[in-house]
Amino acid sequence: MSVVVDEPAVTDGGGTSRRRRGRALTAVALVLVFAVFPLVMSPFANLQVTLILVYAVAILGLDILVGWTGQVSLGQSAFFGIGAYGVAAGAVHGWPVWAGLLLGTAVAGVVGCLVAIPAARLRGYALGMITLTLPVVAVPLAKRMEVVTGGAQGLNVTIVQAPGWTGLAADQWRYYVVGIGAAIVFALAAALRRGRFGRAFDAIRVNEALATAQGVHVTRYKVLAFTLSSVYGGVAGVLYVVAVQFISPETLVLTLSISMLAGLAIGGLRSLLGCVLGAAFYVVVPNLTGSVSAGQSYLLYGVCLLVVMLLMPRGVAPALGHAVRRVANRRERAAASGE
Amino acid sequence: MNLLQQVLDGLSSGSVYATLALALVLVHRSTGIVNFAQGQMAVISTYVAWTLYDAGVPVWGAIGAAIVLSLVVGALVERFLIRRFEGGEPLAAIVVTVGLLISVNGLVSLIWGTVLKQFPSAFPSGGVGSGSGGTIGYGTLGTIGALLVVVLALNWLFRHTRLGLAFRAVAANPESSALLGLPVGRLLMLGWGLAAAVGALAGCLVAPKLYLAPEMMDSVLTYALAAAVLGGLNSALGTVLAAWFIGVVENLAGTYVSFVGGDMKIAVPLVLMVLILLLKPEGVFGHKEVRRV
Repeated sequence: MSVVVDEPAVTDGGGTSRRRRGRALTAVALVLVFAVFPLVMSPFANLQVTLILVYAVAILGLDILVGWTGQVSLGQSAFFGIGAYGVAAGAVHGWPVWAGLLLGTAVAGVVGCLVAIPAARLRGYALGMITLTLPVVAVPLAKRMEVVTGGAQGLNVTIVQAPGWTGLAADQWRYYVVGIGAAIVFALAAALRRGRFGRAFDAIRVNEALATAQGVHVTRYKVLAFTLSSVYGGVAGVLYVVAVQFISPETLVLTLSISMLAGLAIGGLRSLLGCVLGAAFYVVVPNLTGSVSAGQSYLLYGVCLLVVMLLMPRGVAPALGHAVRRVANRRERAAASGE
Repeated sequence: MNLLQQVLDGLSSGSVYATLALALVLVHRSTGIVNFAQGQMAVISTYVAWTLYDAGVPVWGAIGAAIVLSLVVGALVERFLIRRFEGGEPLAAIVVTVGLLISVNGLVSLIWGTVLKQFPSAFPSGGVGSGSGGTIGYGTLGTIGALLVVVLALNWLFRHTRLGLAFRAVAANPESSALLGLPVGRLLMLGWGLAAAVGALAGCLVAPKLYLAPEMMDSVLTYALAAAVLGGLNSALGTVLAAWFIGVVENLAGTYVSFVGGDMKIAVPLVLMVLILLLKPEGVFGHKEVRRV
């Protein structure tokens, strides 16, 4: 019994190598566009793209838990906050950024693991409620622990300055730092997904009893998925502080968790591209609707969300993949008949 | 302020949570979805009631009209929006209700603005009680009474009418119900309509205590979700008891435990809920689900 993995079946014949070459070319083009983008665009646009990458990492963490393993979480904003406060509080005390990164992600991972050990026995809405408690408790806690968090005002920091030799502005340098950080954690997730862990998570999502029968230690892997997810949330929080140089309790409210879940559904589950697209929706669409009409911005955002879900109930990335495959197949068929 | 008064105040807020939680349970029983927009739908219903009252309609008439209107609109929302996501990816359905929440919030701000509005209480001011024991407001008793009326009415509908029997059949097994000739679609519409109506009542009960604002129900929704999950998401009695428990614990902890205070009092019932769920994952009154391979 093999587990369903959402990978498109590779077609045999002449199409494969052409497709592989096409894919490599696309990757090179993407990297080039990514590298040149901040040099020619405005600081505002750079910040937007940086934020998209930040939220993409957080949504990817959520995808590990929700998409890969089939669990629910409304707690991602709390882990995002732990990572952010870790690096910001460290910076206030004169720590180097890497130490803050380690602190923030380690605390996020430990809290995630501690929550997951008892919660892994639960599923569905019970798990959802338990994770919902995290941001609800985290916001007043962050306001109270003034010594560490700066209270309701939050923390302003100045970290990740562009070195003089680069000649880059702050926004450009932070764009590259966040971009490379995001690329690393995305590559790690992609490797994880293909390996033993990814298959175990798949098995748990599809059928827990069957996974047990196949020798997958369900509880252990659920705790692992939860911990990984919170570590990714923590990393995203660190990257967020790198991007905006600020963190306050208002950042980690439950609404952010819900928006991330919405972003995940918009982008599409179990898709790295989907995580980026979902994050882009979360960052860009409110700006667009705000520029259309300030008073109706929120209404338009909600309507956009509903329209995307109605048109693409499985998310944008699967819909795009489907469209691309159809065009490619048609072209191949045309090439074959023309020969 | 004495203990009895604090407990009754807790029961009163608990009754509001219970009313919205019952709406969540109605939706969950009929369509298997947890509706994150339930609170926001209640907010727009309350604004409709306020508008009618502002135009000169008596309070009870305004609330009644808003409830009836909510019944219709709730049913339409199920038919034209939610229907497409029933039985699909659960996350998609949840996110659609989130989209609904955001849209309705935007709509409320657009129509009525974000300035707080005063909502009239449906109950007379003043209260009963002796001077030494403090007074128990009619509003407090009225809110608890309104919840009891809702519970009894729903109980009568589901246990003693053919319509309720059909609804329960659809909730238990939609496919077999359809084969028996029950109008499944219309009964699901009824579930959402009733939920919106009950939610409208919750909004009108809580609005006089707070001010009428687009975000009025956000924290109420959190408590109602907690109550519904704690009650097992299917049991009306369990939901009401859980909501009362949450209301009382929140009120007592906020008043008597100095460390908790106003900002953390929302956390106390939630943390207790977490502990209870860890001991009884299916909720206090829920049924254990049998899973098959």
